[in-house]
Amino acid sequence: MTVKKRGTLALGETHVSVANVMATPNANVRFWTITMLLVLIGLATLKLR
Amino acid sequence: MLLALAQWLALDVRTFSVFNYITLRAVMAAMTALLISFALGPWMIRRLTALKIGQSVRTDGPQTHLVKAGTPTMGGALILTSVVLTTLLWADLSNAYVWVALLTTIGVGAIGWVDDYRKVVHRNPDGLSAKAKMFWQSLIALAVGAFLWSHATLPAHTELIVPFFKHWVFPLGVVGFMVLVYLVIVGTSNAVNLTDGLDGLAIMPTVMVASALAVFAYVAGHAEFSKYLGEPAIPGAGELAIFCAAIAGSGLAFLWFNAYPAEVFMGDVGALALGAALGVVAVMVRQELVLFIMGGVFVVEAVSVMLQVSWFKYTKKRFGKGERILLMAPLHHHFEQKGWKETQVVVRFWIITMLLVLIGLATLKLR
Repeated sequence: MTVKKRGTLALGETHVSVANVMATPNANVRFWTITMLLVLIGLATLKLR
Repeated sequence: MLLALAQWLALDVRTFSVFNYITLRAVMAAMTALLISFALGPWMIRRLTALKIGQSVRTDGPQTHLVKAGTPTMGGALILTSVVLTTLLWADLSNAYVWVALLTTIGVGAIGWVDDYRKVVHRNPDGLSAKAKMFWQSLIALAVGAFLWSHATLPAHTELIVPFFKHWVFPLGVVGFMVLVYLVIVGTSNAVNLTDGLDGLAIMPTVMVASALAVFAYVAGHAEFSKYLGEPAIPGAGELAIFCAAIAGSGLAFLWFNAYPAEVFMGDVGALALGAALGVVAVMVRQELVLFIMGGVFVVEAVSVMLQVSWFKYTKKRFGKGERILLMAPLHHHFEQKGWKETQVVVRFWIITMLLVLIGLATLKLR
C-alpha cells in the first residue's frame, strides 16, 4: 500500500502558517506585509532600470 | 553617508549618480529599514524577554487584555534604531531638516525610554511623572519651533496653509508659529501614545501617515512640482521623504512582530517618538492641517480621552457622581466593550486611516 504524503501541512500557504500555530490575524498581517514589500520592489523598478 | 559615497564614486562611474534621486533613496531607505528591523527583531524580542522587560496591563481595562501581561515591551527601540541607522545611511547629512527630524525623534524617544524603563525595570508603576514628560516634550517642541523660525527664509516657511483652499494662507507671527509647532509635535506624540493600546493599532496608521508625508516632503522639496501643485516650496525638504520612508519600512517590519497576538509592544519609547516624528515632519513641510486630517484616528483617540476625563470630573463635581460618555476610553476600548473583537477594531481603524490618508493626498491637487 502506498502512503500519500503532503508537501505542506495544508493548502494554500496561509493554511500552512495557521497549521504551524500562527494565529489567523498574524498570518493575515504578515502576508500583507510581504505584499507591501513586493509592491515597494515593484515601485523601485520605476527608477531602477 | 551612502549618498556621499555614491557621489564620490559617480566621478568615475556615472551609474552611481542614480543615487542622487530622492525617490530611489526613499525606496532603498524603506527596504533597508525593513530589513534592519527584520534582522534585529527576533534578537531584540529574545533579549527583552530574557531581561523580563514585560508590559504591565491596566487592571481597569478590558479583561481580555489581562493575558497580554508580560509581553515584552520597549520594542520601539527597534524602530528607532532602524530609522536612525537608515536615515544616516541614505539621507543627505548636510541637510538641516534631516537633523531636526532625527534629533526630535531621538529626544522624544529618550523621554519614552526613561518612562518605560522606570515602569518595567524599576517596577515603578508611575514611570516618569506626567509633568516631567510634558516638560521635556515641550522643551523639545519649542526648540524645534525656535530653530525653524530663525532659519525661515520665505514667508511660506512659517505660514499656516489651509488644505483645499488655495488662497487661505495665514501669516502666523513668531508666537502663533511657536504655539502651532508646540501643539502639533506634543499633540501628535501623545495622541499616538494613546492610540497604542491594541496590537498593531498605532503602528499601521503611523506607516500610512509617514508614507503620505513622504509624498508631501518630496513635493515641497521639488521646485517644479510644488509650483505646479500650488504647494509651498521648501528647498531641502525633499530629504525628509527618506526619513519618512525609513519610518514606513521600519514600522512595517515592526508590525510583523506586533500583529495580533503581539510578540512585542513598542512602549512609550516607540509611540511618543513616532508621534513626534510625524509632527515635526508635518511642521517642516507646512502640512499641519493635513496631518490633522490624515491622523484623524490619533486625533479622535486623544479627544476621546480628554472628553471622557473632563466629563467625568465635571459631573462628579456638579452631581457628586462621575458619569462617562464612552463605555471606556480611549475610543478603541469603547468599541471592544461594545463587543467588537480586538482585530476588528484594529483593521477597521486602519481602513479609516487609509481613507483619511487618501483625503489628505487629494489636497495636493484639490485646492
